[in-house]
Amino acid sequence: MDFLSDTVVLSRLQFALTAIFHMLWPVLTTGMGIFLVIVEGLWLRTRNPAYYHHARFWSKLYVLNFGIGVATGIPMEFQFGTNWAAFSEAVGDFFGSILGFEASMAFMLEAGFLGIMLFGWQRVHPYIHYFATIMVAFGANLSTVWILIANSWMQTPAGGEFINGKFVVQDYFQALLNPFSGHSILHMFFATLETSLFVIGGISAWYILKGRNQEFFSKSLKIALAAAVVVAPVQIWVGHVSGEQVRRYQPTKLAAMESQWETIPAGQAAPWSIAAWPDEKGEKNDWDIAVPGGLGYILEFKPALSEPVYGLKAYKPEDRPPLVWLIFYAFRIMVGIGFFFVALMAVSAVQWLRGKLSPEQIGSQRWLMRAWILAAPLGYIAVECGWIVRCVGRQPWIVYGQIRTAEGVSNVPASNVLTSLTFFAVVYTFLFFCVLYFGARILQRGPNLNLPVPDFEGQLPVEVEPAEHIPDSRPAEAQQEAQP
Amino acid sequence: MDPLAQFLPQVWFFILALFLFLYVMLDGFDLGVGILSLTSSNEERRGILMTSLSNVWDANETWLVIMGGALFGAFPLAYGTILNGLYIPIFLMIFGLIFRAVAFEFREHAKRKLFWNYAFGLGSFLAALGQGFALGSVLKGITVDAAGRFAGSTWDWLSWQSVLVALTLIQGYVLIGSTYLITKTEGELQDTHYRTAKIAALTTLVGAIFITISTPIFYESARTRLFQEPFIYIFAAVPLLGALLIWLLLRSLSRRQERAPFIWTILIFTLTFAGLALVVFPYIIPMSVTIYQAAAAPSALVFMIIFMGFLIPIMLAYNIFQYIVFRGKVTGGHYE
Repeated sequence: MDFLSDTVVLSRLQFALTAIFHMLWPVLTTGMGIFLVIVEGLWLRTRNPAYYHHARFWSKLYVLNFGIGVATGIPMEFQFGTNWAAFSEAVGDFFGSILGFEASMAFMLEAGFLGIMLFGWQRVHPYIHYFATIMVAFGANLSTVWILIANSWMQTPAGGEFINGKFVVQDYFQALLNPFSGHSILHMFFATLETSLFVIGGISAWYILKGRNQEFFSKSLKIALAAAVVVAPVQIWVGHVSGEQVRRYQPTKLAAMESQWETIPAGQAAPWSIAAWPDEKGEKNDWDIAVPGGLGYILEFKPALSEPVYGLKAYKPEDRPPLVWLIFYAFRIMVGIGFFFVALMAVSAVQWLRGKLSPEQIGSQRWLMRAWILAAPLGYIAVECGWIVRCVGRQPWIVYGQIRTAEGVSNVPASNVLTSLTFFAVVYTFLFFCVLYFGARILQRGPNLNLPVPDFEGQLPVEVEPAEHIPDSRPAEAQQEAQP
Repeated sequence: MDPLAQFLPQVWFFILALFLFLYVMLDGFDLGVGILSLTSSNEERRGILMTSLSNVWDANETWLVIMGGALFGAFPLAYGTILNGLYIPIFLMIFGLIFRAVAFEFREHAKRKLFWNYAFGLGSFLAALGQGFALGSVLKGITVDAAGRFAGSTWDWLSWQSVLVALTLIQGYVLIGSTYLITKTEGELQDTHYRTAKIAALTTLVGAIFITISTPIFYESARTRLFQEPFIYIFAAVPLLGALLIWLLLRSLSRRQERAPFIWTILIFTLTFAGLALVVFPYIIPMSVTIYQAAAAPSALVFMIIFMGFLIPIMLAYNIFQYIVFRGKVTGGHYE
């Protein structure tokens, strides 16, 4: 148990734990924000109260995830200082500014309009409310942009050079638009959207299968499906392009993703392993099941490579990513889920065209509904796997090719990190189950179809005196449960 | 020194001070209300307290994140050194903030609210405590090596001075929380907070007097600085003005004015904060690392001003809009 006294390992574990956990919440709220913009927009256009009730129902799940997303996001920012002070000092000129932009542009935009979005239904005009909803969704997605720029820069540091161990920026726009930025932002944007669509679709399918509010939930399922028709295939393409970039800029990561030990020279057919067991000491795979020419088809759409693919043995052992098996399988799980989403979307789209998803018939599509329920958690798993590939694959560098992770750590005794890590593990596990529990409770209650719909004409919300707010004196449970 | 290399760090010192001030004032009343919720006699009252914050707590807390990001970008050395040195207080604050943040939503859904009531109240207290320790130990000074990196040990942050600062800060938060609640509540609940405001005003005053007297006595570096011109005038003026403001505050509480106590409290916070900033300037880690030593390259500071500086008025505008939408008394435990 040597690692228990190693500040570097413990700090990495702590960052990994908090990041993996934190990611679960914004991944939903970022995508669901766009969904809320869509349903509220449909309501404003059609004035159909069902869409209004959709907005109200889904925003309950939204806020549950939002609160814990904020709570678990704050430690992420502070850890750069508490645990990675040397890294912070070396790259702060660029990296720190990006985190500052994220907070001031994205986080504050979201926070500034969230209150109105959640509690302002009867206080502002519906159009102002819609503006608030759009700003919340826009802020969340801006967050993705800035965080992905910061992380991409750690992968492909551009726009300056390291002088005496400190990164000096020469061209900010080159640093912002570093080689990884564009595709990474798109890949993550579609990932949040796709995850949310399949969560929304999966929950809707659960209600349909249970025979509860079938007509209501066939609406949200169809909205999710319509969006997935575009998003799911595009995500596969964006992922493919991202893979090509990894090959070009981070050959050690590609080698680990494919568990490729030997270099495959140009002109040769490159096999692709479906499954394998890497042996890091022996520098080989204990076994593998490979498709001949597969890698060539994946990278260049032809069996033989036009440029070599470097194997791990081309690099010194201390420059290779650790945990090759983890990177290898995380990558395969992510890709597998991506294709499953496309297949589910395609089958559902066909059924929709055949008229099988009408409110009368959708209840009989039991297998399809079960597949949607199964899909609900898969997006999360794919996203986590993607980040594992991205960040474990970047090791042993904190800034690829420039600063080793071990050089970035703070001057903190291991016992302190062990204590904070333990607290995080316990508290976060507890909170995880709390969210599941309270989330399940929101689903059990279902949508409240009796909520009064705000009207457009008679309302001059700025004039509404707070005295007109008549409090519901019943206990909180009764207010939420008394609806038929 | 190159005028630009001097001017830009000063601009960023001012911006950071603004962010920190907004944070201390806004999350101050927010955390204060949280601490006060520990004294609420029943669920209905606690519900009103939490509703008074439900639409603003998130935006208030965001100023902390913005402050952290700006410190990281503008003064990377100080960001690394201070957070490295304050490992334990920072994590006290973080765990406090986690618990109080999730309590807002979880308490709403929970059948048994007791646990989440404590998560909210004690989380607020823990966050304030961590911040107080952090402030106290930054003022006392952080041990650094020649390169400005943290060179102290784990428990450096714990001293009787930092305990004193932490207790005073908590009292200050309770004070601003009470005066905020006076504006948001009515009837019996408002009476309670007239009382808590009075008590907190007095305890804050006692803490402030101790800190004011003890600082020059026990800190040599502060002493030599404070008794030089022009600091001596500031050092003399701040307590006098402070005493005047406290008197105005107590008078407004006795006269049961609704908004004035909150405004006087904000002015007291402003004065204290401005006094501290003037005493500390141009140090970012007091008396050991200056803003010029810790600053990022001028190009980085300009880059950040272009992106971030122009956002400050916009951020303030939509924050203020939110307060306008939700102005007025909170009467029930929920917004519709």
